[in-house]
Amino acid sequence: MYSFIRSVFPLSGILRLAAAGFLSLSWLASGAALAESRVDASSAPNDFVQAVADNALEAVKKDRAVKSGDMASINKVINEYVLPYVNFEKTTRLAAGRYWRQATPQQQRDLVEAFKGTLIRTYSGAFTRVDQKSAFTMLPFRGDAKADDVVVRSTLSQGNGPSVGIDYRLERTAQGWKIYDLNVEGIWLIQNYRNQFAQQITQNGIDGLIAALNQNNR
Amino acid sequence: MKIPDTPSLSNAKRLVRLGSLLGATVLATGCATVAHPNPDDPWESYNRSMFAFNDTVDRALLKPIAMGYDQLMPDPAQTCIHNVFSNLGDVWSAINSFLQGRGHDFFNTLGRVLFNSTMGLGGCIDVASMNGAKRIPNDFGVTLGVWGFDSGPYVVLPILGSSSVRDGTATLGTFAAGVSPVTPVFEIDNVPLRNSIIGLYAVDTRASLLDADKLVNEVALDRYSFIRDAYIQRRNAQVNSRRDGAAPPDYSDDGSLPDYSDDVDAADTGASPDAGASKAAQ
Repeated sequence: MYSFIRSVFPLSGILRLAAAGFLSLSWLASGAALAESRVDASSAPNDFVQAVADNALEAVKKDRAVKSGDMASINKVINEYVLPYVNFEKTTRLAAGRYWRQATPQQQRDLVEAFKGTLIRTYSGAFTRVDQKSAFTMLPFRGDAKADDVVVRSTLSQGNGPSVGIDYRLERTAQGWKIYDLNVEGIWLIQNYRNQFAQQITQNGIDGLIAALNQNNR
Repeated sequence: MKIPDTPSLSNAKRLVRLGSLLGATVLATGCATVAHPNPDDPWESYNRSMFAFNDTVDRALLKPIAMGYDQLMPDPAQTCIHNVFSNLGDVWSAINSFLQGRGHDFFNTLGRVLFNSTMGLGGCIDVASMNGAKRIPNDFGVTLGVWGFDSGPYVVLPILGSSSVRDGTATLGTFAAGVSPVTPVFEIDNVPLRNSIIGLYAVDTRASLLDADKLVNEVALDRYSFIRDAYIQRRNAQVNSRRDGAAPPDYSDDGSLPDYSDDVDAADTGASPDAGASKAAQ
């Protein structure tokens, strides 16, 4: 019995952290409102993420409706403040891998919407776990700040629970930085959906994948 | 010829019995067909059967107990119990950081254990985390990885769950050798006390997984793949972060370099005769 325990330990951590990671993205989102005057999408990647995350955290701490898990408030926050900073089309395209090119433009749009729905539903649970001591600390930037594809690393500390390592993958666009992937304690979001997407598509086609995602969303 | 029934022997007997039961169940559930073979998971069909078996045991036994515990035990007591076990686990993490030659992590974790054991009232309060010190989880599977052992294929162990050849060997090997995180508990002579602690450890661990379990049920398209890919990514990241830092994943088979390997659509069949023709022309 004991060894069962040991072996699930790493996994238990992973899954709890996954929740925290999704949460962080939503904080990111809600912060954007206050941050509009201050967040500079063309600044250094670390500064961009830090500004957005700090403001987001403040906003979520203040918003009781969001913290209590009210879906309308959560959707509003995400649509208004997360999506402008996220290239969700790219997230979906990379998760679909080589199958993306087999999809019609309509299927591509539907797939993006369905996957978005899945992830928003994930945030809704995580929103309720914000506490007053939650704070983001950016780690020193490694890599080339002039590159078009960078990783920003951060630690999320919480008053009630362990700190969590969260990395953001950003790409440089004409409108400034856009986030397209998220790593929680070593697990990249896109990477974790690639096999599941491929599996669904080989079994049931792209429409089957869209249907499966939408069914989850109901 | 009667062999005295020592505790270890009866344990072994029980294990054998459990083993044959497992074998029978796995055979009975049969081998699932593999829709999308994954190079990291060559034993997927066996693994899926074992995953289904573990899931059944979990739903019938472990999860209901954990849910009962979660409802009955007051939150502060739950947190305290969880922290005490984590503090014990940190001792093992510290030893592994040492074995990996990571002096900084070793002293950090040692300091965390000392701080939590004293100021944190025997580990009950995780004062180290409250003061911003991040836990550095570590185990012998990671140590073997740092020493250069490849993880080998992914494998789902009976009851134990997600593992790999390397990690499973590390878990079972250290347990058999009597140098594992729970060895101190197994050294307790008072059998009812010892078993109660082990039971509590199991229940605490499962209870701490309840939220995560719910999350996976809500967001995974296929729970098996989701958990497998998370496990493999997480373990690789743990090993890589102790070497030279992990590079972000390369999604390039989607990007500028098209991968036609298993595309059989019109564009490809149209393109290849051209390529053949130009070759023939040369």
